[in-house]
Amino acid sequence: MSDSSKKTNAIPDKVIDLIVSNTLSKNGVDLEEIKGKLTAEQKQSLKELVEELTLQVDQFVDKPTSRKKDSK
Amino acid sequence: MSGNKWRALDHCHNTRNNNADVQQNGEQLVSNKQQSYEWIIVRDSEGVDIQTTDTQAALSLQLGIQAAIAAVISVTIGDTDQGKAVAQDMKQYIKTKQRNVQKTIVEGSRNITVTTTDTDLAVNIQALLQILITLVAKLDIL
Repeated sequence: MSDSSKKTNAIPDKVIDLIVSNTLSKNGVDLEEIKGKLTAEQKQSLKELVEELTLQVDQFVDKPTSRKKDSK
Repeated sequence: MSGNKWRALDHCHNTRNNNADVQQNGEQLVSNKQQSYEWIIVRDSEGVDIQTTDTQAALSLQLGIQAAIAAVISVTIGDTDQGKAVAQDMKQYIKTKQRNVQKTIVEGSRNITVTTTDTDLAVNIQALLQILITLVAKLDIL
């Protein structure tokens, strides 16, 4: 599991791992075969996407996103 | 305390969605069913600082993660029957029904800070992100 997921564990990692593994194996997905299909650019692009979303989720969870100051 | 009592949010009382910053009455349907109702009512008060969860921002984030999961499946497995079946199964796990109702009333107060968090929404987003991270980790992307 990634270091970036440390702060965002709503559900135990093992449960999520079981769900994902089960879904892939149930549908006959061969992980090794798929890994070979990905180009370096695709991997980099997906990595950046996940890192960006992780950052956004951490920011959302850490603090409220809307603020209203009543000046009256 | 009678007659013309000043109420900070009078204009929010009678109609819906006319001050999204203070009163959120978000009722959104994503691929999962989720309803968030948040009421913050301020009466006869001044200097009230409110920090609340932006439901719209949260739902955008949620949709972004769902789209990312779909993209990972599409790129790796492809838009085949197998890919569609995996995406469909993931959706089944993601599918949640939840309803969050929060009501906060501030009355006769001065110089206070109110902070609310929509925990359900936060947990849902975190769970979605966990699925995405686990999926890409299995593909040696991270």
